Amino acid sequence: MDKFVAFLENNLSTPMAKLSEQKHLRAIRDGVVSALPFIIFGSLFLIIAFPPVAADTALGEWSAKHIAEILIPYRLTMFIMTLYITFGIGYSLSQSYKLDPLSGGLLSLAAFLFTIGVKMMDDVGFVLPMTNLGGHGLFVGMLVSIFAVEILRFCKTKNITIKMPDSVPTSVARSFEALIPVSIVLLVMTLITVVFAVDLHSLVDKAVAPLISAGDTLPGVLIPVFLITFFWSFGIHGVSVVGAVARPVWEVYLGNNSAAVAAGKAIPHIAPETFFQWFIWIGGSGATLGLVIAMLLTAKSSYSKAMGKATIVPSIFNINEPVIFGMPIVLNPVLIIPFIITPLIGATLAYIATSIGLVNPTYVMVPWTLPAPIGAYLSTGGDWRAIVLVMVNLTISVLIYLPFFKMYDKKLLAQENMVETTDNKNIAL
Amino acid sequence: MKVLFVCSGGMSSAIVVSALKKEGEKQGINIEVLAVGTQEFDAEVRNGWDVAMVAPQVKHRFDGFKASADEAGVPCEAIPAQAYSPLGGPKLLKLVTELAK
Repeated sequence: MDKFVAFLENNLSTPMAKLSEQKHLRAIRDGVVSALPFIIFGSLFLIIAFPPVAADTALGEWSAKHIAEILIPYRLTMFIMTLYITFGIGYSLSQSYKLDPLSGGLLSLAAFLFTIGVKMMDDVGFVLPMTNLGGHGLFVGMLVSIFAVEILRFCKTKNITIKMPDSVPTSVARSFEALIPVSIVLLVMTLITVVFAVDLHSLVDKAVAPLISAGDTLPGVLIPVFLITFFWSFGIHGVSVVGAVARPVWEVYLGNNSAAVAAGKAIPHIAPETFFQWFIWIGGSGATLGLVIAMLLTAKSSYSKAMGKATIVPSIFNINEPVIFGMPIVLNPVLIIPFIITPLIGATLAYIATSIGLVNPTYVMVPWTLPAPIGAYLSTGGDWRAIVLVMVNLTISVLIYLPFFKMYDKKLLAQENMVETTDNKNIAL
Repeated sequence: MKVLFVCSGGMSSAIVVSALKKEGEKQGINIEVLAVGTQEFDAEVRNGWDVAMVAPQVKHRFDGFKASADEAGVPCEAIPAQAYSPLGGPKLLKLVTELAK
């Protein structure tokens, strides 16, 4: 068993975790993460625009009447999230190359704007259509940001730059340094999108279409769920590893779902990140709130009793590293089994419930540290059935964890008794 | 003693941080601790810390953190999984004080 675990750790989990630290993947992840506050802020206005009350109440009537205005903060944040994300990606990637991050961020942003296509409207003048600035354009945003920063880096390493004499202030010198890479990147973008009039968005849409539909199927949900708990079983932050690859897809779903709601259309996707967060990871990765409740209910060993008391509050707010490392679940064959099984079952149930319309799909992003029933309620735009689903999944998780926990607790208790008897013996001697 | 923690978001280590502080109080050692996320670490570690501790869930990024800490001249160590728990205070304190010497 130990050999097998060591084999998995050395050949599978650690190399994969290292891969997720690859510079571009990390920049994409950090770029998306930097936009989250804006996404959370904007998505809250979706709840105000579509409040969870009947249409004939005062609030219902008020929001229906002012819906266009209420949605403006949403439109300027979450609805155009890729605009923010491209800056974040360019910034992070340049930072990791030790280039000037501000130049990298701005250049990425500019390169992305070149893909949008300026339109002329008679009564308003020139406009940028907003649709592709949102989640819909995320993959193009990722690609052009990376392209922009790589050119920046190329120019820097090959010393293709305008050098200023030392007497020129640094900030001025820096802006000239960026002139050549900026010109190269933007000329290439002009060539592609203006001269050859290539619509990068429809091109990339076609290329990623299989990925987008695959991620929204039941296997597409279960595979990341399994991988996340698999990584955690070795003590590696699963979401940050798997999310490095999967998060762009999850964000596209979230962007599309919220845009559909704002447009009054049917919600297209089941599995944005919010789906995983609220229906599956109840209490954190591995749905460990169930384990902590099992601890509080049945712990016999003093260690489990103390752990249960110490971890219940953080667990309610989905912080479970103390449980994962404290119990520990990491490299603990008894607890790894329910840790992997529970989320798979919860995911399957939530997937079925959402796909047959028992629960609204999620489209609002709220901070992940909210207790699961509240988070689920808000992220489904105020669907009380989401709370029921969370409670059902929580109950199931307690039932699955319970026998495994008891088994492990018995072992802990036996160890504690043994220590005590040897202590007593020592005293007697 | 000033101890900098790095974990994935700076949240989970907050719990371990309070365990460490409590243990320090017990032993009469004044400890100032800050928990940061992985993105902030590189900049923060340069602000005059005595020790930098890396949470086990981001251990696969240890080399990168260690490089930043080395540049700043701050001793840097990974926290063993068993010490990363609300009950791991004593173990952690021992580790931190040894590292700070």
